Amino acid sequence: MELYIRNSDYLISDLTLHFKTSKMKNIRTYIAIIAFMSVFSACKKDFLEREPQSIVVEDQVFSDPKLIEGVLANLYDRIPTDASLTNRWTEHTAYDDAVWSGSGNSGDEYRNNIISYPVDRWRLWDYGFIRDVNLGIEGVQKSTKLTTQQKDQFSAEFRFLRAYDYFEMVKRMGGVPLVTSPLVYDYSGDATSLQLPRSKEVDVYDFIASELDAIVNLVGNNGSTSRANKYTVLALKCRAMLYAGSLAKYNSLMASPITLPGGEVGIPAQRANDFYNKALDAAKQVIAGPYSLYKANAANLGENFYEALTKKTGNPELILIQDFLQSKGFKHGFSYDNIARSLREDNLASSAIAPSLNLVEKYEYLDGTAGTLKTRTADNSDYIYYTNTQDLFANKDARLYGTVIYPGTSFRNLPVNIQAGVALWNGSSYQIIEGDLGAKYTDGKLLTGLDGPQRSALDLSNTGFYLRKFIDNTPLASTRTRGTDIAWIRFRLGEVYLNAAEAAFELGQTAGALSYINTLRERAGFGANSLTTLTIDRLRNERRVELAFEDHRVWDLARWRIADKVWNGSTNSPDAMLYALYPYRVVRPGDAAKNDKYIFIKQVAPRFKAPRFYQIANYYSSISQSVLNNNPKIIRNPFH
Amino acid sequence: MVALFSCKKDNYDAPTSRLSGRVIFQNQPVGVRSDGVQLELWQRGFSLFTKIPVFVAQDGTFSATLFDGDYKLVRLRGNGPWIDNTDSIAVKVSGNTQVDVPVVPHFNLSNVTCSKSGTTITATFTVQQVTAGSNLERVNLYLGTTMIVDNTRQDASAEKLAADVVIGQPGTISVTIPAALASRNFMYARVAVKTNGVGEALFSAPQRIEFK
Repeated sequence: MELYIRNSDYLISDLTLHFKTSKMKNIRTYIAIIAFMSVFSACKKDFLEREPQSIVVEDQVFSDPKLIEGVLANLYDRIPTDASLTNRWTEHTAYDDAVWSGSGNSGDEYRNNIISYPVDRWRLWDYGFIRDVNLGIEGVQKSTKLTTQQKDQFSAEFRFLRAYDYFEMVKRMGGVPLVTSPLVYDYSGDATSLQLPRSKEVDVYDFIASELDAIVNLVGNNGSTSRANKYTVLALKCRAMLYAGSLAKYNSLMASPITLPGGEVGIPAQRANDFYNKALDAAKQVIAGPYSLYKANAANLGENFYEALTKKTGNPELILIQDFLQSKGFKHGFSYDNIARSLREDNLASSAIAPSLNLVEKYEYLDGTAGTLKTRTADNSDYIYYTNTQDLFANKDARLYGTVIYPGTSFRNLPVNIQAGVALWNGSSYQIIEGDLGAKYTDGKLLTGLDGPQRSALDLSNTGFYLRKFIDNTPLASTRTRGTDIAWIRFRLGEVYLNAAEAAFELGQTAGALSYINTLRERAGFGANSLTTLTIDRLRNERRVELAFEDHRVWDLARWRIADKVWNGSTNSPDAMLYALYPYRVVRPGDAAKNDKYIFIKQVAPRFKAPRFYQIANYYSSISQSVLNNNPKIIRNPFH
Repeated sequence: MVALFSCKKDNYDAPTSRLSGRVIFQNQPVGVRSDGVQLELWQRGFSLFTKIPVFVAQDGTFSATLFDGDYKLVRLRGNGPWIDNTDSIAVKVSGNTQVDVPVVPHFNLSNVTCSKSGTTITATFTVQQVTAGSNLERVNLYLGTTMIVDNTRQDASAEKLAADVVIGQPGTISVTIPAALASRNFMYARVAVKTNGVGEALFSAPQRIEFK
């Protein structure tokens, strides 16, 4: 629909151009036209004023609610993400939750070898989107065919999208120019009226809050998960205000806060509580709303969490999704690219996003102890021997099962076969033997599983884990021809609980924070009131495990101002390096307690080469040189 | 005939003039992280106005192959381990050209010596405050198997936070050689000093330490 608006713009300018050039044509042309006219004088008068048959013009669009919905659909589809199921989905492997294990073609492998994040990595200067929204608002307001109520409702929805886009920009760039009406050039040769300076970072967040407050009761769409309703607006407000609060607090706590003299970057510390209060307030309203956590599969909490993220009907947790519909051809290949190797239904790709051991170990044990997997005895003298590979993962947070396919589990009711090789006892130590996928060892039993892992194979897990979250378990969903229509979740109630908990905790309301966190943990298999004390680190960990692969990790680390500490570029760092877990079957005849049992070896993922290195220059992305050239009022971000 | 007289396919020769130089403080090159610190070259007068990034090598040298012409060399703000200086340096490139870029670091390192004792490498160093008001964050010692050693390319490292470092006095920092590398013939070591709120650290020259 954007295309239609643009086309009509072009149409007008084309016509103007035509009239201008026609003045300059010589007299013979006029004679020709007159002759032509006289011959066809029987034509209808408005021969040159017919409605175009192939173009929808602006007035038509904004007189028809169906066409306006088309414009909105286009804009919803263009909401920026850093990594979703379709847009830049490969970037899920550019942080610390997963290792790229897909093909090595076309430079895909670079994600395992990012020396440092480029300063323009998260650059977003999305004024095409803003302009389309502003044109939409103007068009709706000018329309003569819409009722007042329709105008309010559509305008509110456009303003929601604009606030959302400004949030996506401000979290990447700091303060950006706030443009709230279409900028029109008057061809005077002087464009200064269009050159707007950057607003303060804090002003952009205040703008988002005031816009969302203004539309919350106008937006309508009750019960919709694909269009914004009252609670979607509040969910966005809650997230944006939480970001603003943590930026205000944690930027100021840095040894050298990142600021610009004009406030384009840097939110005053004294605003923190105000923003946290707004976030908590909005979160409370969403929680009190018609949503509830998905708990339909109480018998299997791991499957329950998987369903909470993949089921679209009868799922009371979803607030706003980017929906797809396979039967209408709106589908994508996320399952094709990321299905576990032995379960793939197509040739070529699979296994691209292989969750890291770093993430897996962040899932706590159900007794509340830290999630570090117990592969070695307490005195580190020997491996721990497990009868089945899945025993290592017993009594873990159910969200681990719902997010990651780990050894000894199944998907689509088919078992995965994850075994790296055998560990042969040579009398004093283990000799590691690895082979081809599905190969048998000389004792006739399995050497290497059909799902690997292998150290350097493409389209095969490099870490010993596969992704379950967002992978479709419908038969044939992981083919290219059928595809999958799993929805991308932009907002869900689980996140709102976490936002509420964080805001409450930062405001010193620990009891409230605990109740939100414990509600969420109960769904993951922890008992009621599993936590009685809370630290900020625990809260952050909860966010990481609940929201893995939902495009939160990098933004959370950035707003807490710890990204440069966690991803410090050091090869010795347990966080900047990504780790794998390779299971081996023990071959030790004569020792029945150990023979044919399984041991696990933790190691740096073999394909992962360069530690994650996030520098202070990455907290705000650089502004494009062409933007700086075109508008001298734009000042650069710090460090670049 | 017209077709026969048309231009060569590529009617510009590739640039051949080489601009090279050093980033210096008190006429000594300033050591940095390899490929981490950037200088900018700008040239006005053409419709495309965008910078040519020039990365500084770890020994403080840099080079770029350019067309002859007048350029402005800019010390990118907040990037290197020195104080911001937004004055550009006019550079006239005509054939091979040398230019030194003076900077004023926040902190400097002097008297850096590294030695091996058993399985430990110890470096002695003196941190000097060059710019009043800058705050020291930490001092690091990095060990690597190749000459390119820094915080992102290293095999072992040790860290001393500012509280444990006396500015202006000799200090020591030690790191244990990783067991897997103990049987090597040699390794390289570098000391780095990092300032609060500055992305990049200032490094000493890599020192080769013979193990045998």
